[in-house]
Amino acid sequence: MNQTETALWWARARAAGPQRILPGGPAPAGMLRLPEPDGSGAWLLPVLPDNASAAVLDELGLPGHVLEHPNDTARVLAACVRCCWANPAGPLWPGVGAPWEQVAAVFGAIVNRDEVVSHRALLAGVRRLARSRWLLWDEGAPMIRLGPRVAAWNAAQLSTLREMYRSMPPAGGDGIDASRPSA
Amino acid sequence: MILDVDLIDVDEAILEAFAAAGSDGLTVAEVVAACHRFDARVVERRLGVLRDYQAISKVVDRPNEQHFRAAFAPYIMLLFLHRLAERGGQSELHQLLTLERLNISHHDAVEGDGGASVSRLTKVFRLLANELTSLVHRGAAEALRENAQLLWGNRSLIVQAEEVHAVVLGRWPSLGQQCAALRISLAAYGDAIEAAAGRLIEQAGTTRALGFLPAGTTRALGFLPAETWVSFARRSDVQALAAVLDSFVFDAPAPWLSPQALAEAVESARPAGGTRFRPPRPDDRQDLAEQDLMPVDDTAELRIAAERLLGDRGSVSVAELLDEAGDWPTGRRLVAEMIAIHHHPDLSFELRWGDGLRIDPGSFPSWVSDGWFGRLAKVSQ
Repeated sequence: MNQTETALWWARARAAGPQRILPGGPAPAGMLRLPEPDGSGAWLLPVLPDNASAAVLDELGLPGHVLEHPNDTARVLAACVRCCWANPAGPLWPGVGAPWEQVAAVFGAIVNRDEVVSHRALLAGVRRLARSRWLLWDEGAPMIRLGPRVAAWNAAQLSTLREMYRSMPPAGGDGIDASRPSA
Repeated sequence: MILDVDLIDVDEAILEAFAAAGSDGLTVAEVVAACHRFDARVVERRLGVLRDYQAISKVVDRPNEQHFRAAFAPYIMLLFLHRLAERGGQSELHQLLTLERLNISHHDAVEGDGGASVSRLTKVFRLLANELTSLVHRGAAEALRENAQLLWGNRSLIVQAEEVHAVVLGRWPSLGQQCAALRISLAAYGDAIEAAAGRLIEQAGTTRALGFLPAGTTRALGFLPAETWVSFARRSDVQALAAVLDSFVFDAPAPWLSPQALAEAVESARPAGGTRFRPPRPDDRQDLAEQDLMPVDDTAELRIAAERLLGDRGSVSVAELLDEAGDWPTGRRLVAEMIAIHHHPDLSFELRWGDGLRIDPGSFPSWVSDGWFGRLAKVSQ
């Protein structure tokens, strides 16, 4: 892998987000290689130093990417983290797939709204997050997984997430068993 | 000569009538009849004008000749005028420049031809530049936009004129002064074009057609009316529309979500302090009997209790009474009874407290204030 190819992979990641490659594909410098659990491929995630990531924009108070309904979207992602994080003591990626109903139940418990409204917010949030690869989800698919982007969170941020994980209501009813599958 | 474009139509109808009449010519009355589409007075006036210009003349030059015939040259001129009115005369100017070039390049051409050619071109470009400049300075922007297409953006005109200029200067160096005049008029025309373009760009820049594009692009877009853009957007297929953004690179949608934001969002969704219930309301479905609302009169009970505490004594110390009671629950009730009796308005008993204190850690109660319970002296007497 020479410099040009590395630059090309970085350009691809910039223009199209994290890239999925076949197993045994390239490993460009500065990118995290996240293998799929079933070995069918891997994701290339650009790893930026802490002082160059998107979080810096927040610190500087500069406008970053404008996200519609930022709060609802964050809640959807939180619900997915609650459902897909197989073992909160370990890393977030790759996590496990969670059925849609379970995520919907957790999300509904968080927002505490009418079911129709909550469903609409959930669907919009999942679509938005899947587009930017925070989640892996195909339109209409029954299962949701965490996307490769979550692997960019560092250890300190994961501890915040653990705190949140504990404070969140578990998936109610029949979904509760499915939320603890063996990793 | 021609004040109105409509008059060209009248002239054309007149000449058409003459063409149809053949070599015998027409009388004025016949012409007016042939041009019945137009007002007779207008036709007669135009006939007079055309006769002044020698465009029509008597068939035979004698005093009482009634028949007229038309010359062909004026009609050619009329055709030119038509074209000039329609297209602004640019192609005519191009042709003229080409002809001038051919003429002066011809090996028979003499210095006089070159000088005449250069002075004609000088005049043409001066007039052009004057018209354009006056539009820029005094005309409305809309008028400028309508007319400007006929007047500016013709760099090739300047190039052609410069070729003529080069040929003339090369062949007859003595014409340098006239050539300098031509150069000046060409430069003036070039400046006028720049000024007109600047004015149009400035005007277009103030009406932003599309807000999200950079300023330079909007200016360029402003040259076209909005309807053109709308119809372009409606009629183009996906490929054509996508091609507009071919040279742009977009970042992937990459919103950053920090775990902190996640936790805050989850926290803020929860209603503060859990679900709040309405406090229970008193059950007022059945009205209480009026009697129950009256304060309970316990005078008799309290009097009996006081008599029991005192016995036949006039007064008794609190410490003594508590000693009799033996344990704290009973003693507490005794104290409560004594206070109630003391405060009852109808009962003549009192509870007096002194400064003394009896302390005995070993017994019950371990300390007692110096208090006396007894009958009120004056009432009892």
